[in-house]
Amino acid sequence: MFSFLLRRVAAALGTLLLSSVMVFLAVQALPGDVATQVLGRDATPDAVAALRQQMGLDRPAWERYFDWIKGALHGDFGTSLVTTKPVGGEVAQYLGNSALIAVVTVLFAVTGSVVLGVLAGLYRDRWPDHLISTVSLVGMSVPEFVVATVLVLAFSVTVPVLPAVVLYGPGAGVGQLLPAVWLPAASLAIVMAAYIVRMARTSVIDVMASEYVTTARLKGLTTWRVVTRHALPSALLPTLHVIALNVAWLVGGVAVVENVFNYPGVGKLMLTSVQNRDLPVIQAIALISAVVYVSCNLAADLGSMALNPKLRTRGGRIR
Amino acid sequence: MTTAPKAPIVSVDELSVAYRSGSGGREVPVVQEVSLEVRPGRTLALVGESGSGKSTVAATLLGHLRHGSRITGGRVAVDGEDVFALSARELRRLRGGTVAMVAQNAGHALTPSMRIGRQIAEAGGEVPVTDLLEQVRLERPRELARRYPHELSGGQQQRVAIAMAIAARPKVLVLDEPTTGLDVITQRGVLDLIGALREELGLAAVLVSHDLGVVARMADEVCVLSAGRVVEAAPTRRLFAAPADPYTRRLLASVPRIADAGLAVVGEDGTREIRPRADSVGAVDVVDVREVTIDYGASRAVDGVSFRVRRGEVLALVGESGSGKSTIAWSLAGLRAPSGGTMRAAARGGAGAVVGGGSGGRLGARPGGDGPLGVSSGGDSDGLVGGASGGDGPVGGSLGGSRGGLSGVVSGAGSGGRADGPLGVSSGGDSDGPVGGSSGGDGPVDGSYGGDGPRGGSPGSDSNGSSGGSSGTSPGRDGDLAAPARRRPLALRRAVQLVFQNADTSLNPRRSVGDAVRRPLHFFGTAGSRGEAATRARQLIADVRLGPDFADRLPAQLSGGQRQRIGIARALAGEPDLLIADEITTALDVSVQADVLRLLDDLRRERELACLFISHDLAVVRGIADRVVVLRHGVVVEEGPTDAVFAVPGHPYTRALMAAALEPDPEAEGAVAAAEEWADAAEPGALWDDLGGGHRVRRWRPADG
Repeated sequence: MFSFLLRRVAAALGTLLLSSVMVFLAVQALPGDVATQVLGRDATPDAVAALRQQMGLDRPAWERYFDWIKGALHGDFGTSLVTTKPVGGEVAQYLGNSALIAVVTVLFAVTGSVVLGVLAGLYRDRWPDHLISTVSLVGMSVPEFVVATVLVLAFSVTVPVLPAVVLYGPGAGVGQLLPAVWLPAASLAIVMAAYIVRMARTSVIDVMASEYVTTARLKGLTTWRVVTRHALPSALLPTLHVIALNVAWLVGGVAVVENVFNYPGVGKLMLTSVQNRDLPVIQAIALISAVVYVSCNLAADLGSMALNPKLRTRGGRIR
Repeated sequence: MTTAPKAPIVSVDELSVAYRSGSGGREVPVVQEVSLEVRPGRTLALVGESGSGKSTVAATLLGHLRHGSRITGGRVAVDGEDVFALSARELRRLRGGTVAMVAQNAGHALTPSMRIGRQIAEAGGEVPVTDLLEQVRLERPRELARRYPHELSGGQQQRVAIAMAIAARPKVLVLDEPTTGLDVITQRGVLDLIGALREELGLAAVLVSHDLGVVARMADEVCVLSAGRVVEAAPTRRLFAAPADPYTRRLLASVPRIADAGLAVVGEDGTREIRPRADSVGAVDVVDVREVTIDYGASRAVDGVSFRVRRGEVLALVGESGSGKSTIAWSLAGLRAPSGGTMRAAARGGAGAVVGGGSGGRLGARPGGDGPLGVSSGGDSDGLVGGASGGDGPVGGSLGGSRGGLSGVVSGAGSGGRADGPLGVSSGGDSDGPVGGSSGGDGPVDGSYGGDGPRGGSPGSDSNGSSGGSSGTSPGRDGDLAAPARRRPLALRRAVQLVFQNADTSLNPRRSVGDAVRRPLHFFGTAGSRGEAATRARQLIADVRLGPDFADRLPAQLSGGQRQRIGIARALAGEPDLLIADEITTALDVSVQADVLRLLDDLRRERELACLFISHDLAVVRGIADRVVVLRHGVVVEEGPTDAVFAVPGHPYTRALMAAALEPDPEAEGAVAAAEEWADAAEPGALWDDLGGGHRVRRWRPADG
């Protein structure tokens, strides 16, 4: 069990390291470097060279990579080219705002869709199943910005109960942002839930047809007990990885939705940084996305270990 | 036995059940007007082949119907209550409380994510879990209760399932094939346990089984079902002694018995006739396995096993699960590399020609047929075919009347240089093709070619094989079976073919069976053109005694036995030297099993096919095998000609296996001797006690104490 854990964690760290290298290399491969970005297109070569030396850009790439990583481990991602403030602090602020949306989304989407998926599976081929499956299919096939726009039309324009756009800057408090969180979270949740619902439904149907569920039923157990104790642990296993992938997808999905709502989150920051060619910020965000992605998958693996004793206990029997 | 007849605790009255598949499908009757009764303390067996409705009837005692089924008539009463009139709450009380079920496959019937202690406790009742585990004769119950199902052996799982069923002290136990899938010794233990518990707890039992040996041992009364109807119902002794219905008679006659000295041929009216064993065993080894060890991680599954299979011979590997018999099969098939020892595919020799003949028509297969004959017949029927397979025996062909030479010959035959000659010449593959045969090319070149290639490589070089080749085990460029399948040369891959236990899961459900047979033909290049492949596939399907229209069907449209035939046809498409049959009849009904066994026996007679037959069923082995190798924990404990081993089993383990085998005869019980305690006494240099005639027993001594 511990060797399995160790291997998983080691693999996660390895993945992170590799992605940090790729992020760094990708930024290096962009035409021009930070110095030319700062000085603009008309700068004299001498000025560029001077700035390069000042910023340490004349050193070999691997040296700069290690500096960057060393800094990143301490939360220091360099300084932004636009605001000249430390990147770390700035990204953290935006990230916090995005996390608010993410937490709300994950909370509602995951619990909601698992419950719906299980219901659909249990009521297979009856009306609850048809309803849930159809709605989730629609959710799946519509892109998030369309969902967001429809939600704005419904809840900000037709029945104005929630704000359509956020008027605060990144420094706004949780209290100020909270009313603005619901619509972005809802649009993300709708898109995300569709996949989880369908996966949960399929695996619940499979497991409910299994011999051990029949046996549990024939033991005279109540349906509730059969479902929660016997069926769900196995049914959730495959769903877990779909959830992890979807949570990781949030990192990207959030960028689009935040722009629709003008929400001061990390997605918004990323878009502005790309427009401003603020390379250190882009680099930091890319790395953080990788961290989110890897930790989601690691969490899913640990979760499946909790659900599947075969992964926890040693070996099993030999043929 | 009580004299005053008690009121029946289970009574099924004119029960009919119908099944509707899908929403638009029409209703199919599954059970029709079945009536039966079980009195307290008695055991009724429901016997029948798959599709007879026996499991459906048994499940209705718990008020359970398969999704899509419904009762179309009659009633089921247990302990005075009409099961299908109960409310949900009452039904839950009935299940577990009054009637409990032990499902067929405990491995699938236990929830994988739950400790077994909790699963048992959940079943209700006042008896502590550890007491229940003790009651089913499991050791260290406290520790066991904390385990998960996958940490138990099959026998232990089944005992846990029984503990779960008796937890709430039910009055009726429904046993759905409780020991199917367990090997003989484990099965015996579980049956003894069920018998003892029945006495202790005064249970009535309904036993569903297709195994008449189990029924003969366990049941008081038997109810034979066929196609949803009761065909015959009688007390066990009377039913086995004087079966009244022809169906029952045929069923009984189909069961292989441990005393049969050959395969039973069952007549329409249930008469059985023993067909004498084939004398097709050749002198040439097809596979030579020496001192092979196979490891799974740190544990050794197979430890120093040696055996040889000769052309036309059926060699049985016998043992319990965990004995390593399947591991050996997988390894020979190239799915698992051995960690030590050698495995070689030996000479195909003149037999190459024979094989060629076999593929073209039956002619060549006759021993007297000889190379040339095989050649010509191959040639004329389907030119290329003959060419292709005949190719195997460039040797055979070049040898001319090779069969004679076969024994000594093989070696000489394939002399490297000579073999090449004919090769080049004949690869055209016309009537003469067989001589050099297209595939002959591969043979010598890869050095893998079943037989000759290898020996061809040996020094015997030019001579016409007039002996030269010594013992036939010369290393040289023999076909090395230690290589994984993907690294074996094509010809060697063809030479060893595996037939799986589960024909249904080993066939692609979306591909017609004709396709399934055609694929290896293309893959192995044994058929040139598309049309020819189709012809060959049809021929192969006919060879396994199926009609030509089967080619267009999907596996789902076939019965279990038909699918297993297709599995065999697919393996034959590679024109193998060795067919590995891994428990191929285990999942089949007895009458179907008898058919498949006869087919296998026919094939080896016709094609001089060598067959490694892996089974845990001694009665089946007795009928089909020429020689037996008994394995225990990866070690050979006894081997010899089948008749000798069965007549005088030398090793206590063999005796234990034979004692545990159940005969379809309620009177046969006394035959079981108490198992002797023994210890291994083999020492290096003194491993075996030789009983003569190839029958030898690993040394052992009575256990101390």
